[in-house]
Amino acid sequence: MTALTPAVPRRRTGGPHPVALMLPAALLTAVLMVIPIGSTLVRVVADRGEGLARMLDIPNFGTVMLNTLVWTLASVVGALLIGYAGAVLFQSKSLRLTGMWRSLVMVPWIIPGVVGATVWRWTLSTDYGVLNQALLDLGVIAEPVRWLSDPDVVLIAVALVQVWVTAPFVVLMVSAALAGIPEERYEAARLDGAGSWQVFWYVVLPAIRTTTGIVVLTLAIWALNSFTIIWVMTSGGPAGSSTILPILLYQAFQNGDQSLVAAVALLQVAIGGVFAFFFARTMRTDLEDQS
Amino acid sequence: MSARPTRRLLTGTGTWVLLAVLMTWTLAPIAVMVFTSFKAREDVFQVPARLLPSTWTLENYATVFTASTMPQALLNSVVVGVLVALATLVFCFSAGYAMARFRFRSARPLALFILLGQVVPLTVILLPLYQMVTAANLLDSTTGVAFAHLAITVPLVTWMVRNQVAAIPIELEEAVRIDGGSRFDAVSYVTLPVCAPGLVAAGMFAFLQSWHEFLFASVLTTSSDARTAPVTLTEFATEFDVDWGATMAASVVLTVPIVIAFVALQRYFVGGLTGGAVKG
Repeated sequence: MTALTPAVPRRRTGGPHPVALMLPAALLTAVLMVIPIGSTLVRVVADRGEGLARMLDIPNFGTVMLNTLVWTLASVVGALLIGYAGAVLFQSKSLRLTGMWRSLVMVPWIIPGVVGATVWRWTLSTDYGVLNQALLDLGVIAEPVRWLSDPDVVLIAVALVQVWVTAPFVVLMVSAALAGIPEERYEAARLDGAGSWQVFWYVVLPAIRTTTGIVVLTLAIWALNSFTIIWVMTSGGPAGSSTILPILLYQAFQNGDQSLVAAVALLQVAIGGVFAFFFARTMRTDLEDQS
Repeated sequence: MSARPTRRLLTGTGTWVLLAVLMTWTLAPIAVMVFTSFKAREDVFQVPARLLPSTWTLENYATVFTASTMPQALLNSVVVGVLVALATLVFCFSAGYAMARFRFRSARPLALFILLGQVVPLTVILLPLYQMVTAANLLDSTTGVAFAHLAITVPLVTWMVRNQVAAIPIELEEAVRIDGGSRFDAVSYVTLPVCAPGLVAAGMFAFLQSWHEFLFASVLTTSSDARTAPVTLTEFATEFDVDWGATMAASVVLTVPIVIAFVALQRYFVGGLTGGAVKG
């Protein structure tokens, strides 16, 4: 080997074959991911679609799909808004102790999901909850809101908690992207007489478009697959008004209804597959960029 | 480029108002958790609700540590977390190293295969995983839970390790090879020591993922012998008469180690997490 060897050797140079090195992790992935998905498919086929038919026949199946959509949209949009606001805030030169505030903002994201959900369940309690009391004191509401027992409110209430948990991730990602914007672009915009809002709209947003894409994709996958927050806070109730697909699957699992579990799982894989496709494309670009 | 240009987007009072709103939103539930945990029972269910305790008491913490299965659950969580962290590091160092250092025909498919483990919804593998763990006679054991948690940690940590190895100049390894060392020597004398801090952080990250996990742990355990802390916490809250004071004290107990670990390892986490963290 000489100093002219390419940075990444193209041929084997002794030691175990690279495939052998990747095999343990790949086999584990196969056992934990591929075989389960395969067995799900096999079951749906072996049932001759009976599980799928039953799933579509569930009286509130439409509601579950609508809930999943509303929950996902609300979670993603909420986390984006708060995350962007936080990221811009942490760039402000008027701010002191930025590092400390930034760490504090991470807290909802790093604490266990069960803890977050439990704490919010208590905070949102109709009679004993601090939120209702604060809103009553401020005169925002005239009587306590039944956050987790009013079918019209519950989905937004649980989505609020998902936003609380995931917004720090957006702050983190967007902050990193903002730090990478070259000074010249701002200078150019200023010379053209752009105000703060125009700078944000015409310089900042376009520059962090890729990051935004990754973030939206990630948030959507998180929301679509989310189980803990809703289960701990409402178990999907009242009367199914906060039931999304993962909750439906878990309830079928608890009832020992294996064909229904397989049917819902297949639907989740199909929806997840669309996101996985875009995710894989982003990852592939990333792999190419770095190798 | 000393002052960040975007620093001009927000100035003066607006900054502090926005900060106050953001901090209230972020920390109010945490404050509720901490203050409720120090309240006496009658204080907890007082109407109108108050944030601060009228008298401070440690009785909720006493309940958690002496009259609940939480101590056993915390121990179980530690056992599971350590198993997960060790197994994850072994699997992921091997795979991450290969991804960073070799180019071969099946590299990209294999890498994507491992990384795509990240986007498979956990509920989808719930039933087959349950059947597998049952068949292996590992139901209600910490080993069974740890096995399930690898589904979460391996795809994530492989990515972290790959980035860490890729950041080490290959010339360092080549220097060992030129001196007649094998690739194994190069890895053990150069690569491993150089990324040791990163690997420790990756191990901690795997531990924390396991510490958080609820769905698999609750399905794969049936008794307090193997039940982890998050599952035990939800049991506090599903009893008919919910003891919210003790529940909040237990929540604090579950949170404190995490916050300490995060503060200590923040530097490593931030890079690792933004590098490919996609799991619900």
